[in-house]
Amino acid sequence: MEYKSLIGSKGSKANEETIWDLRIEELINDILGNDKNQFLIDVFKEPLIDKNAIDFRLKIFNDLMDEKIYNAIKNFVNKIKDCNRLMDLEAKTYEEFKYGFHLDAALIYVNALDSSLNLMRELNIKSDGMLYFVNYLENLIQSDRFQALKRITYEAKTGRDKIKVRININGDRIRVAKEENGEDLTSKIEQLFSKFKGQQVRELKLVSYYEQITHIHAAILKGVYRIFKEEFNIMKKLKDVFPDIVDEGIKSFAKEFEFYIKYIEYMKSIQSNGYKFSIPQFTEDGSVHIKGFYNLLLARKNIAVANDIHTTGDKRVFIITGINGGGKTTFAITFGQLAFLSSIGLPIPAEEAKICLFSNIMTAFPIEEDKLENLSRLEQDVVRVHNILKTADNKTLVIVNELFSSTTSEEGFELAKRFIDKITSKGSYLVYVTFISKIAAVENVISLVAQIQDEKPTFKFIESNHISKYMAIQIASKHRLLYEDIKSDLG
Amino acid sequence: MIQFDLLKLSDGPEIEDKNNLKKDLELEKIIEIIAQKDDLVVKLWNHVLLLSKADIYSIKYRQEAVKDAIQNRDTVLNMYKFTGAVINRTIRAAFIVTYDNPESIVYDTANGIRVMIDAFKDLKDILDRSSFSSEAFRELIGSIKENIDDNFIVSSNELMGFLDIRSGTEFSVRLGMNNTLSDPVFLTHKKESSVMKRIISRKNDYVFRLDPRDERGAEILGSINKWVLSSLAPTMLKAYEHLLQFFTTLHTQLAFFVGAINLYDFFKKTELPLAYPDFSEGTISFRDLYCLSLAISINEKPVPNSLDLHNINAFIISGINKGGKTTFLKAIGQAILLARAGLFVPANNLIIPSSGTVLTHFQRGEERTLSYGKFEEETIRFRKIIESLKAGDYVLMNESFSTTNQVEASVVARQVVSALIDSKITVFYVTFLQDFIYDFIKDNKNKAVLLTPERLKDGTRTFKLVQGFVQSGYALEIWDKYFMKN
Repeated sequence: MEYKSLIGSKGSKANEETIWDLRIEELINDILGNDKNQFLIDVFKEPLIDKNAIDFRLKIFNDLMDEKIYNAIKNFVNKIKDCNRLMDLEAKTYEEFKYGFHLDAALIYVNALDSSLNLMRELNIKSDGMLYFVNYLENLIQSDRFQALKRITYEAKTGRDKIKVRININGDRIRVAKEENGEDLTSKIEQLFSKFKGQQVRELKLVSYYEQITHIHAAILKGVYRIFKEEFNIMKKLKDVFPDIVDEGIKSFAKEFEFYIKYIEYMKSIQSNGYKFSIPQFTEDGSVHIKGFYNLLLARKNIAVANDIHTTGDKRVFIITGINGGGKTTFAITFGQLAFLSSIGLPIPAEEAKICLFSNIMTAFPIEEDKLENLSRLEQDVVRVHNILKTADNKTLVIVNELFSSTTSEEGFELAKRFIDKITSKGSYLVYVTFISKIAAVENVISLVAQIQDEKPTFKFIESNHISKYMAIQIASKHRLLYEDIKSDLG
Repeated sequence: MIQFDLLKLSDGPEIEDKNNLKKDLELEKIIEIIAQKDDLVVKLWNHVLLLSKADIYSIKYRQEAVKDAIQNRDTVLNMYKFTGAVINRTIRAAFIVTYDNPESIVYDTANGIRVMIDAFKDLKDILDRSSFSSEAFRELIGSIKENIDDNFIVSSNELMGFLDIRSGTEFSVRLGMNNTLSDPVFLTHKKESSVMKRIISRKNDYVFRLDPRDERGAEILGSINKWVLSSLAPTMLKAYEHLLQFFTTLHTQLAFFVGAINLYDFFKKTELPLAYPDFSEGTISFRDLYCLSLAISINEKPVPNSLDLHNINAFIISGINKGGKTTFLKAIGQAILLARAGLFVPANNLIIPSSGTVLTHFQRGEERTLSYGKFEEETIRFRKIIESLKAGDYVLMNESFSTTNQVEASVVARQVVSALIDSKITVFYVTFLQDFIYDFIKDNKNKAVLLTPERLKDGTRTFKLVQGFVQSGYALEIWDKYFMKN
C-alpha cells in the first residue's frame, strides 16, 4: 500500500507584498516558534484555491480538534521522532553501543505502531486523510517484515534485562564479573541510622549527568558482551537483519503531521487566553458572516478585541473609518489574515466564520519613502490600484490602507470613489481604511466605524452611517443606546 | 526512633510585628542578660519570646524543666558545653566544602559520622551520672539509653569500615537505555573464603587495565566512581546530617536552660522576687511586679506595681507624665512574654488570663505631630496588628491615635478598643484622649478600669498606678472654681 500525503495538494506561493502587508511572516514566526523548518514555512505561505484541497486539510483539523484523537496521533508522531533521533545517534557512536541504540529504536518503533493502531481504531476519525493513514498503518503492521522485527526486538530486550554484572575499579584496573549476591551498602546504612529522625537535609548539588558513552564504557560493555554471549548475539542479529527500522511512509507522515501539530499547539496557547477558533465554512453566494474575529498576535498578549463583519454579498466594499489610534489598520490586517489562513486550510481566529473562498488577496499599504522609486506617492498609489484592477475578479479580496492620502481630501475622495466604482463593477471585495470619513458615505458601501467610550477607543467597529458624531455615540453608549446595547437588552 | 523535646515549643510562626515589639518592650536588654554573649542563646531566646503561639500545657512542661535545670545546673551546663564541642569536632572532621562531589561527600561524611559515634559513649556517661526529675529530661535520657546501645555502635563502625578509599569501588550494574550502564549499587566487599575459590571464581572475569597514556580514560574512571557514589552520597549525607541534627537539636534546646540559669543568677544578684506564673481566665493579678528591663538598666530593684482584678479586659492608663505609665506597660508585656516562655517572672506572684501573645502599638517620641498622613500611617499599622490577632491575645497601646485632634481620635479609639475587648482581647492603653477615657469607661463599667499614677496627699509621686475614676463635669468644676468663686 502506497503512502499518501497528509498535506494533500500543494498551493502556490502568495505574493510578497501581501505577505508583508498582512504581517504573515510575523504570524508564521509566532506559530512556528523557534522551528525554522522550511518545509513548514512553505506550506504556511502557499494558499490553495481548490476548495476540495482546503477541505481535505480542514477535515483533518476537525478530527484533531478532538482532544483524544490529537493526543493519540501526537503521541505516535513523537515516538517516531524519538526513534529517528536514536537512529541518527546510532550512526555516530561506538560499535559496542550501536546494538543498544538499535534495540531501543526498534522497541520504541514496535511499541508505537502496535499501541497506536489499537488506539486509532477506537477513535472517531472522519477525515479522508487520517482514515487512509490508519489503513496504511494496519497493512504495515500485518506485514511479515514488521512481525519478524517485533519478535526479534522483544527477544533482544528480554536478553538485555537479564544482564547484571559486578564491576570493581581499583586504580587503573577494571574487573567485570557476573554478579553474585552482593550486599547493598546504601540500604544497610539507611536502615541503621533511620532511628535518627531529622529534618530535610541539605540539597546535594550533584551533577545529574555523567558521561555514559565513552571508550571506557565501551570497553566495559565489551566485557559484558563476553560474559553474556547469548544475549549479545540476539542484539546483533536484530541489527544485522533490520538495519533500517522506520518505514518510509511513516517517516513522511511524521514530517507532514508537524504542520497540524504546530498550528494546534498555537491554537491551544491562544485558546488558553479565552479566545475561540472555528473551521471556516465557504459560501457560494458571496456572503460573508464572521462573528467575533480577532488578531492572533494581540490575542497572544491577551489584548485582542473581537469584531464582526457581515455582508449578504450584494455590497462588497467595506469603508473603515474612525479616530486615529482607533484600530482601523489592525481591523483590516486582521480580516486579511483571516482570509489568508482560511485559504491555507486552517481553523481561523473567530467565533463563527462563513466566508467566501478568495482566490487572490491583494494589498496596498503605505510605502516607506525610500521605496517609492521615482514616482510621487500619489502616482505610486494610482499605479498600484491600476495593477490591482488588472487582475481583480469576483473572487479577489483587496485591502488598502490610507490610499490617495497625499492629495487634498476632496481629490482623495474623488479618486477613492472612482476606485470603488471599478472594484464594485468587478465584483471584488474591498476593505478600505481611510481617515477621509466622507468616503464612508458613498453609495453601495458598508461603513464600519471605530467606537469610542469615555474619549478612549474601544477597538470595536460597528456598522454605522453616523460618521462624524463621535461624541453622540459616546453619550449614547453611556446611556446604553448603541446597537449592541439595545439589541442585547431587547434580545 | 530517638525522640525527645525539652521545650515543646509551638512550631507556628513568630509574631508578625516582632521588631516593634522588641523595641517597645526593650527585649534586647533582657536577652542580653539571658544570653551572656552566647550567640546561640540570643538566637533561641529571640525565637522563644516572640512565638505567636504557646499553650498552657507546654508552658507548664517548660516551667517544670526550668526548675529541674536550675536544680541540676552543673549537668546542664556541662552537657551544653560537650554537645557544642562534638558539633565543632564533627564539622572539622567532615570538612564538607562543596555539595557537588559525591566522592568527597561519601568519604567526608564517613569521617564526621565516626566522630559522632564515638561521642555517644561520653554523652551516655554524663547522663548516667545525672539526677533529673522533670518529664522533659527523663524522656531524653530514656530515649538515648534505648536507642544507642553497644550493638548500634559496633554496627556503625563496621559499615563505616567499608568506606575506605583505598579498597576501590565495587558495584553492580544493569544495562539500561542504549545499553548504557544503569542502576549502580555500591556493594560491601566480598569476602572470599579461600584463595582457591577466589581463583576459580575469577577465571571467567573480564579484566583490563587503563593504558598509562590514556589521561582521558583516567578522567572517565574517576567520573564512573563519582557516578556510583552519587547513589550512596544522599544516604550518607542524610545519615550524617540527621546524626548532627541530634547533637545540634540537643545543644540548641539546652541553650534555653542555659539562658534560664543566667537570668536566675541575675534575679538572685539584684534580689528580685521570683514567681512561676499561673493562668486563670478572667484574672489579672500580681503582687510587686517589676519592670525587668528597667531593673537591668539601673541594676537594682525599681518601683513595683500590684493589681488584683477580675473580668476586666481593658486597662486604661492615664495621668501625669513621668508617673510610671510606660514602665507599667513594659512590665506587663515583659512578664506575659516570660510567662509564655515557661520562665519565672520578677514578681511575688502573677496570674494572667491566657497564654496569648502580646502585640504593641506604641507612639514614639519622634512621631508626635498632628497630620492626617501620620494618622493614616498609624491606622495602617494598627490594621496589620488586627490581622494577626486572635482571641486571648494582649494589645499594649501607648498613646495610639494621638496624631490627630483628640475629638476625632477618641471616636476612632473607642471603636477600636470596644471591638478588641468584645473579641476577647485584653487591652492596656496609655492615653490622654479625654473624650475616649470618659466615654469608654462609662460605657464599659464592668469590663474596663482606669489606672492613674498614685499621688500622696502631700503631692509626692510614688510611681505606682492606682485605680482612678472618671469624674463628669470636672472641667466645669474647675471653671466654676475660678469663675463662680466670686
